[in-house]
Amino acid sequence: MIRTITHWFRVLWTEAVLSYHGRFAITSPFGYFAGKLGFPLFLMLFFIYMGKFVGFADPAFIMIGNMLLIPASSGMGGVTLAVSDERGWGTLSYILGSPAPRVPVFLGRAVFYILDGFATSLLGLFITAAIFKLNLASVNFLLLGCCSLLIAITSCGLGFLFGSISLVSRDGWVILNTFLAFLYILAGVNIPVTSLPVFLQKISYGIPMTRGIMAARLVMNGGAWDAIGRLVGGEALVGGIYILAGYVLFRIIEKRSFVSGTLDAV
Amino acid sequence: MSGLSWGLVHEQMTVQIRVRTLNVFSLALYVFQPAVFTAVGMLLSRAAGNATPDLVYSVIGGGIMGMWSGIVFTSTYDITGDRRNGMLELIVGSPTPLATVEGIRTLANVISGLFSIAVAFIAAMAIFGFSLSGVNVWGAVVSFLLLLFSLWCIGVFLANFLAWSRLSGTFVDYLEMPIAFLCGFMYPIRILPGWVQVISGFIPVRWALEAMNESLLGNTDLRFLVIHWLAAIGISLAFLFITRQLQDKVHDSIRVSGELSSI
Repeated sequence: MIRTITHWFRVLWTEAVLSYHGRFAITSPFGYFAGKLGFPLFLMLFFIYMGKFVGFADPAFIMIGNMLLIPASSGMGGVTLAVSDERGWGTLSYILGSPAPRVPVFLGRAVFYILDGFATSLLGLFITAAIFKLNLASVNFLLLGCCSLLIAITSCGLGFLFGSISLVSRDGWVILNTFLAFLYILAGVNIPVTSLPVFLQKISYGIPMTRGIMAARLVMNGGAWDAIGRLVGGEALVGGIYILAGYVLFRIIEKRSFVSGTLDAV
Repeated sequence: MSGLSWGLVHEQMTVQIRVRTLNVFSLALYVFQPAVFTAVGMLLSRAAGNATPDLVYSVIGGGIMGMWSGIVFTSTYDITGDRRNGMLELIVGSPTPLATVEGIRTLANVISGLFSIAVAFIAAMAIFGFSLSGVNVWGAVVSFLLLLFSLWCIGVFLANFLAWSRLSGTFVDYLEMPIAFLCGFMYPIRILPGWVQVISGFIPVRWALEAMNESLLGNTDLRFLVIHWLAAIGISLAFLFITRQLQDKVHDSIRVSGELSSI
């Protein structure tokens, strides 16, 4: 039993290190930081001025929302690539042919993207707070960190789902990016979910991140655990469902590939 | 651009449109992503309590956003793709200059981007009731043509940027949002801080776009428009000049060192 658990953790750690190292080892420091903070910062500025032009009175809402989207983008994008790149580089068949347990192989890919998104999000929030002079005096940073970490974890569920889709479709990355763009509307990043049309609100509450971002906003406004408990629980539940769905889809695709032998041919 | 023949233009544009435009990625770039930005603009307007959204900036601006995204990603990925597929050496070694090939490809990318602006205009007119009455049509048409020219010049510059240095790709990849922010694709440039407006003055797209938006809003001040048109033309030509100068230097450097793949 102990040997099995040790083996699982060893596989999980190896997967985590290799997956992250493989993605960023050849990236220049400029490319790394521009991707992590540059794009979200300019995207945030773009939305702030869009809001300012139409008379949206709360730029802080857009600032906080866009910074909280960082762990989601990292989790979803990173994990999708960590899974889909295996096919791109021709290493998928080795993974599927190995006897390694699938759960740590699958979950290991998310570990560093979760930590990365979490750290970048907090860094982005502090930079944004410093630039725009947001008042952080009443913020419980431990709770804020928990919310940010939770968003990073739950968004990986979508990453697993899109990663699995990209194993059977060459357009998985495009589908993910299109979906990421829809998060600007759906996840309560730029517009309060309650301001959305009713059918969009229903979609919003059906995806990870929405409740996590709402909880983090409450914490930024001085909210305590009592105020966010239900939102955090809901976020964990929705995220867990997506992670499970991503894993099940991965196993279905894997099993189908053993039957048809066509996984690399799509 | 010596030796430019219809056959070359036709073949390059046909291949470019088949390879870069007719795929799901372009559909997302030209239609879905601009639609999302437009929706954000409209929903923000709704959340702000406005009865109707601003059609010029929110809807047509979304189309401009789509065109720009298309230029950034297709033009820069051309060279990256060529390098990855081992085609870059063949193109540089062929009698047709790389600048000519990139110029034609970028023209195809700009023409492909028209789809995005066409969808935005059709949506503005058919869905939201945008009317051409009160629009300075000639001003808008001239400004739009200059906008296409500006986009083409920047596209050629960016496309060649990737040939000059592999590392520049990491820089170019992140240009999409900064330029959209600086040039006010979905809001008037005047709401940006003064120092940001000064920086955006070095980007030709900003001048052509500002003239087009003002014309769509009914501005007939010829002096205002001519100044913007001249600024767009002048800065665009400056981009072309810089591209040409660097192009020649890089070509010489490549032939001396033979290090095309490693730069």
